[in-house]
Amino acid sequence: MIHLEKEDTKLMVAVHGWSGILLGLLLYAVVITGMAAVFAEEIGIWSAGHVQTSSAFQRPFDRAVRALGERTPEKYHEGVDLFEVGDRNMGVFFHRHETDASGNLVSRGIYYQLDAQGRVASERSGTGEEVFGPRNDDALSSFLVDTHVRLHLPNPWGLLLTGILGLAMLVAAISGLLIHRHLFKDIFTLRRRANPVLVDRDRHSVAGTWSLPFAFLLAFTGSFFSFFGTVGVPIVAMAAFGGDVQALNDAVFGNPRAVDERPVAVGNLDRIAEDSIRRTGEAPTFLSIEHFGRADSQVTSFHLPGEGGLEPATLLYDGATGRFDRAKPSIGTTPSAGGTLAAIMAPIHFGNFAGLLSKAIWFGLGFAMCYVTLTGLRLWLIRRKEAGRSLDWLERIVGAVGFGLPLGLVASAAAFLISMPVGSAVFWTPAAFLVGFGGALVLACTLRSAAMLDRVLQQATGVVLALLPLLRLATGGPGWTQALTVGQPVIVAMDIACILGGGWMVWRLRRLGVSSGRERRAPILQAAE
Amino acid sequence: MMALLMPSAAILVTTALIALLAAGDPKRRRSARLPGDGQGKSVRRTLAAFACLPGAVLATMGDAAGFMLWLGGAGVAGWFVALLFAQTGQEPR
Repeated sequence: MIHLEKEDTKLMVAVHGWSGILLGLLLYAVVITGMAAVFAEEIGIWSAGHVQTSSAFQRPFDRAVRALGERTPEKYHEGVDLFEVGDRNMGVFFHRHETDASGNLVSRGIYYQLDAQGRVASERSGTGEEVFGPRNDDALSSFLVDTHVRLHLPNPWGLLLTGILGLAMLVAAISGLLIHRHLFKDIFTLRRRANPVLVDRDRHSVAGTWSLPFAFLLAFTGSFFSFFGTVGVPIVAMAAFGGDVQALNDAVFGNPRAVDERPVAVGNLDRIAEDSIRRTGEAPTFLSIEHFGRADSQVTSFHLPGEGGLEPATLLYDGATGRFDRAKPSIGTTPSAGGTLAAIMAPIHFGNFAGLLSKAIWFGLGFAMCYVTLTGLRLWLIRRKEAGRSLDWLERIVGAVGFGLPLGLVASAAAFLISMPVGSAVFWTPAAFLVGFGGALVLACTLRSAAMLDRVLQQATGVVLALLPLLRLATGGPGWTQALTVGQPVIVAMDIACILGGGWMVWRLRRLGVSSGRERRAPILQAAE
Repeated sequence: MMALLMPSAAILVTTALIALLAAGDPKRRRSARLPGDGQGKSVRRTLAAFACLPGAVLATMGDAAGFMLWLGGAGVAGWFVALLFAQTGQEPR
């Protein structure tokens, strides 16, 4: 592999170790919630018992949106966003763009949530940040996504922090690649009965090597998303558009067209959705209408990548006539390499380009990266222990975060299942996470040893995880027969995954308890390389 | 659904070859104190090249989604194979 001088290797080891130890725990929190968030949509369906399978865009919605247009003040007709909420119902946000007191560009308007029959179920006024938030039936998936994206810190600090963590992951991946002299030679070497430093080093380097290409990809794309709006857009706007972010958005993402303010009713949205599905093979994930009710209105439909593709599709329609105009690149008006690269960032990061198969693989890669982060932290600690510098307090914190976070997550899922039927899931989902994670921290301070802490936390996580399906059924969630009858096998699959995952955790601990007792009697020590 | 067949088959082929590589890995065998020297360098290089072949085919065909699936799937499968061989090869004696 890459050969470095001794001093350079030492420096790289220090960079690798200290970047990991300083930011590793936060990085672990971002990666583990990202791993779960790969299945955010499925977790939402499973936890809330959603039984609707056809997209809101596959059912008639034109009349409902037209009626909303009539009751909404014209000043909010500048833009209309349509997307799915809850059990495949529709959310409609009539808005205009304005600059707030701090100089930030915001969208202000009225956000309607429709029910399955297209009636207004709720109506809220304010800026996008004020009106969009977790709902009672998506509190769990929203909690996961928000933790992953911004660690629940206010904008822009949360995004900046996760962006920095992404960069730290890149640094760790590059320095890890440089310091590992036998990357391919060691790719299958996992010694279980050797010196603890070797055991942890093997675990860390084998998982790290196999997931290395994706550590680069996911760290890069994650940082890209975090820094895009917080750093990239303001800098480019300042450099090229005199600080006018709206002008940048119009130039880079907009659809330039001659202004025509004559009032003309919007074209048939049902036909537009139908045509976009026919062209892409996928229902839209998002529909955006510019200048609703004007002659220069335009409708853009956004779709996930079609079968076998990696690039999401974006189609442009004439808003007044509903006529198809063209397939639109995600950046600019003509296709470009940069536009394609920007477009594939999201599918590569989210792993949602090939249904459950790509999501399952991305979940596995996320699991490998959690494992790499945690074993890396443990390796750093165990090396110091071997050198006679025991950091018991840090070992306990690593255990509390490493195994307390999963416990907090399954506790939040349990709380969601109990509180959603009574309408208080938005409060109890994060509260239960804090209780679960806080409990882990208390145990870290009170239990006899770090090893016992790890064991107790893993056992508790395994038991709660395995019991989630029972809790779901007990609190009124759809049974397996009903789920299969309405075409939601994902509910059954999630139940099975919880039982198997939780059962495996408990079984593994029991087995490890037996074998570690045996191994203590006959250690095989090998020299650290 | 049909679009997933090729990448799935590619992942399976690669996984099988990775498992062969793991079975004959000299360092793994030595550290697990298994009998025999394992595969020679040329055999391992040939097997590794064949393991990468399905991905190269998908890339040549311009199947970007398939290639990404294969790359990710091979990474996860490789790690699981390494874990599996660690479990089976070093049972306490």
